[in-house]
Amino acid sequence: MSDLNLDPTQLDRYSRHIIMDDVGPEGQKALLDADVLVLGAGGLGSPIVQYLAAAGVGRLGIADDDVVERSNLQRQIVHADADVGRPKVESAAEFVAELNPDVTVDAHETRVTADNVDELLADYDFVVDGSDNFETRFLVNDACTLAGVPFTHGAIYRFEGQITSFTEGQPCYRCLFPEAPPAGEIPDCSEAGVLGVLPGTVGCIQATETVKWILQDAGLAPEADTLDGRMIFYDAMAMTFEDVPVQPDPDCPVCGDDPAISSVQDVEYVETCAIGAD
Amino acid sequence: MVTVEVVGEETREIDPETLGTDPTYADLVRAVDYSPHEVSVLVDDQPVPEDRAVDADYVRVLRLIKGG
Repeated sequence: MSDLNLDPTQLDRYSRHIIMDDVGPEGQKALLDADVLVLGAGGLGSPIVQYLAAAGVGRLGIADDDVVERSNLQRQIVHADADVGRPKVESAAEFVAELNPDVTVDAHETRVTADNVDELLADYDFVVDGSDNFETRFLVNDACTLAGVPFTHGAIYRFEGQITSFTEGQPCYRCLFPEAPPAGEIPDCSEAGVLGVLPGTVGCIQATETVKWILQDAGLAPEADTLDGRMIFYDAMAMTFEDVPVQPDPDCPVCGDDPAISSVQDVEYVETCAIGAD
Repeated sequence: MVTVEVVGEETREIDPETLGTDPTYADLVRAVDYSPHEVSVLVDDQPVPEDRAVDADYVRVLRLIKGG
């Protein structure tokens, strides 16, 4: 174990990982060496950040341009009452620092845009999309797909959640939804409400996907099955999970046979995320 | 008849002949009370264009949600 540079404190902290065959010291080292970007430090981002930090993901980027509001605290569990009014990335980074000193946080207090997304992604192995708007969701899909960066997607609505993952050669978000709906057609959590614990379940599944990807990238957990090519639909009211298989769309504007999008600059990322006329 | 499963909701049987001449998947979606803008239609797990004429007897409709 010493050649993996895990110190005695780490061997203790991560002992429940290390004793598992599918993780072991090699897997824990891979987690400690991983660079993961979490987009959004809200409902989904909170459990994602919390569990990835606890697992010892060595470098966590957290991007969010929002500040903590009191109405967030019913579900955004890395923020506390005293954080109201503070930038979410600052509050989340402080939470991680208190939880696990092995983790370095890069706090990106910025909105992810077509002008900064490529630079942001360039430093990370895996991306976790916990954003709350179509502009970011489509931008993240396009940028990650074009750059070959794997990512996992989660979305929530009232009692419902959707989770999937995307790696190269598998269907992307635009395979399922080529364009965002007209502005205002799909309500957000502030309009429709959301069960406070719902993003906990969905975000934990996204964190699980992330950890599995890191382990598999290190040649471990060979039997792990990810959400590539399928979406989980979680109904908290019925307490059911439905698996929805999805095949790639050959007409997909990003990953299809003759894609219309070759750069995020081809798209106007507003609420509808339509492909530019030229 | 076309069986329309709206994921997370009920499954309904729709008679395409009630949707007019050469109904599309968009017509089918409207028949289960959704706008084509807010869902994806899957046939044999493959997304299909909503302006395509209905040529399947089982479709799955996946709603788009955005909260985070």
